[in-house]
Amino acid sequence: MVLTGRAGVLAAAGVVFVALVMPSWTGVGLVVAVVLVVCGVDMLLAGSPRRLQFSRNGDNAVRLGEQAVVQLLVTNPGRRVRGWLRDAWPPSAGVQDPPHKLDLPSGERRRLVTHLVPTRRGDRHAVRVTVRAFGPMGFAGRQGSHEVPWTVRALPPYKSRKHLPSRLARLRELDGRTALLVRGQGTEFDSLRDYVPGDDVRSIDWRATARRGNVVLRTWRPERDRQVVIVIDSGRLSAGRVGDAPRLDHAMDAALLLAALATRAGDRVSLLACDSAVRADVRRPAPQDVLPSFVNALANVQAELVQTDFRIVVSQVLERLGQRSLVVLLTGLDPAVIEESLLPVIGPLLRRHVVVLASVADPRLTELESARTDLPEVYAAASAARTRLDRDRLTATLTRAGVTVVDENPDHIAPTLADTYLSLKKAGRL
Amino acid sequence: MSTPLGRSAGESWRVLRTPLLVTGLIVLAAIVVLIATSARTSGPFSPDSTDSDGARALAALLKNHGVDVHSTETLDDAVQPGEGKALIIGPAGSLGRPDLERIAQARWSHLVLIRPGSRALEILAPGVQQTGDVLSSRSREAGCDLPAAVRAGTVTVSGPTYSAPPAAVACYGDGINNTVVRLEVGDRIVDVVGTPTSFTNAQLADDGNAALALDLIGTHQDLTWYLPQFESTGTGTGDSGGAPLIPPDVRYIAWALAFAVLVVAIWRGRRLGPVVAERLPVIVHAAETTEGRARLYRRSRARDRAAAALRESALGQLHKAHGIPRRADPSAVVATVAARTGRDPIMLYELLYGLPPLSDAALMSLSHELDVLTQEVRKP
Repeated sequence: MVLTGRAGVLAAAGVVFVALVMPSWTGVGLVVAVVLVVCGVDMLLAGSPRRLQFSRNGDNAVRLGEQAVVQLLVTNPGRRVRGWLRDAWPPSAGVQDPPHKLDLPSGERRRLVTHLVPTRRGDRHAVRVTVRAFGPMGFAGRQGSHEVPWTVRALPPYKSRKHLPSRLARLRELDGRTALLVRGQGTEFDSLRDYVPGDDVRSIDWRATARRGNVVLRTWRPERDRQVVIVIDSGRLSAGRVGDAPRLDHAMDAALLLAALATRAGDRVSLLACDSAVRADVRRPAPQDVLPSFVNALANVQAELVQTDFRIVVSQVLERLGQRSLVVLLTGLDPAVIEESLLPVIGPLLRRHVVVLASVADPRLTELESARTDLPEVYAAASAARTRLDRDRLTATLTRAGVTVVDENPDHIAPTLADTYLSLKKAGRL
Repeated sequence: MSTPLGRSAGESWRVLRTPLLVTGLIVLAAIVVLIATSARTSGPFSPDSTDSDGARALAALLKNHGVDVHSTETLDDAVQPGEGKALIIGPAGSLGRPDLERIAQARWSHLVLIRPGSRALEILAPGVQQTGDVLSSRSREAGCDLPAAVRAGTVTVSGPTYSAPPAAVACYGDGINNTVVRLEVGDRIVDVVGTPTSFTNAQLADDGNAALALDLIGTHQDLTWYLPQFESTGTGTGDSGGAPLIPPDVRYIAWALAFAVLVVAIWRGRRLGPVVAERLPVIVHAAETTEGRARLYRRSRARDRAAAALRESALGQLHKAHGIPRRADPSAVVATVAARTGRDPIMLYELLYGLPPLSDAALMSLSHELDVLTQEVRKP
């Protein structure tokens, strides 16, 4: 049962009535009876929210920060329903609309649109649809709820895609689609083509030239069909927030850019998200499926406050790789954790594969280190300097062990990781 | 596709009827018990009350001696014509002056005032006054020639005491402060009794209390036992006795208003579906451990560690800027930097490799100097 402002006005008018006309128990009883009867009759005449039928359609997935549109079809087989409808979602689903006004005559159907702008990654489930139907006089009404299941998956935003065109251009330079005539390590024979003035004479294939009668050039391209495994650490090292998002989200961004680039370069990309257990696992999807399958797999991965077990990471990676491959490990540069749990077990990986460790640096540390106006700030600067020195020392240790370390601010981690990949490819280390 | 939540009206009734039935039975039982016990617990000095401060024992005793006791709480019974009858007024000072005057005009043959207030004394027992002395419970001899008191002997007294006019008989006192005073007003006998507790169920059996009570009160066959209630004043609290301060209609308006407030509360209180809760992520800032360590440094005044970190950091930048080998000798570093910046090598050595600062001020200046040095290096 619900009442409206009109019922309140009616009861207030009753007070005036009792005060001026009938100041007695009879008057009070009369007012109570009138209000109860009017509201009761109105409630009985209201359409039944319980008998409404609902169905949904619309978006199933949306990139974080963009708008999803979910439609709700309401069918009314019973009496006319006039009132309000609230399509309830969790707060982080970011419902944009206030409750819908509903006027649904008998036997009709309406389409109501709910706009969602999710504020966090992951699946958002519709909670319930609540309908409040008022009676014809508008004094009282009925309220009922329905479960109308629907899920909108908020995918990683992949903001780093803006860096993709420039990296693809550099890839094409490597790739022989623009003139790459220098034979180097990590390239393979691509094709023979006619000499054009300006080409490097050192690339002329004399044997073919002799056979053909005109000058022929050999072109080279980087090796293709290499394996790339991107490992995202979803443990506590990735839980810390850098800026307004956890390290994990920045790591995903970088992973997606790298995956897109490597796919275009003809490599096969696999994904593993892991802490004390495997959270996401995508093995060598077809090139056109790489991004969709990666964002879907990563959508529900959240940073767990547990210590990542790097033994699982190493065994998982070794299990899926036969040939020499690139292993990109996105984690945090925490000296204690890396030295105690990663370095002892990384040996087998380093022997067979190229390992890149990428970590999101915190610009806050730079801020702390440069602000030195009063005593607490000086101590903070000293502490930040100590943290940075420890990281530098760890980076040096890792580099000596043969790991390529990428330690960049959140804005730069994705393009820098992509550049590292390109330079590794150019150097033929894959 | 959609499933209705909650219960329909029929289901609600089936689910709720048992709790409603049980609640109803409990309320009913409570009302029955309340009604059954209310008669026995209608306050102190009530002839129906069996509590320790009630007076049912006295009432029963009077009935056994053939006295007809009418218990009443309304003023109308206390102002009826009372020739040949007795009226006992219980210990309550809430009667207004007009009420007392109406009682005085009713022609009671015998009035017993139990612990009266000054207003009641002035109208019903002129000449008797409260002395302001209040006795704690004790036993006393009669000390007068009132036959009832002489027969009763020692009696437990407590409560206020009264001074008697010369014509009156004063008992259980020292001549000035008396507990029982008997005087005659016209053809009416008025007894002022200051000790109600002596006649209660708890103390009636002590000393000669019962004998005194019977002799004082049981003089007439028809006794009206009046316990004034606060409601029975009816005509306001002030001596003016004028119009009541609160118009009687206000209570109906108040009830109507309460109902209106209830309606508005239901209107505003009903939400359009429940609040949706969700699991929130833990927010941990990545720099939190660094900031925590800074606070630890500060609390433990770890100037040596702070200075070492700042120096090492500055050295790292100098190494990078001047291309000095990582494992270079301190003197070589100082020489290189001094040559590039034109600073005094001794001061520079003190700055980069000196002792830890001994005060916070020294740490501040060290940090500032290092900052200046690294910025100089960065500039060109």
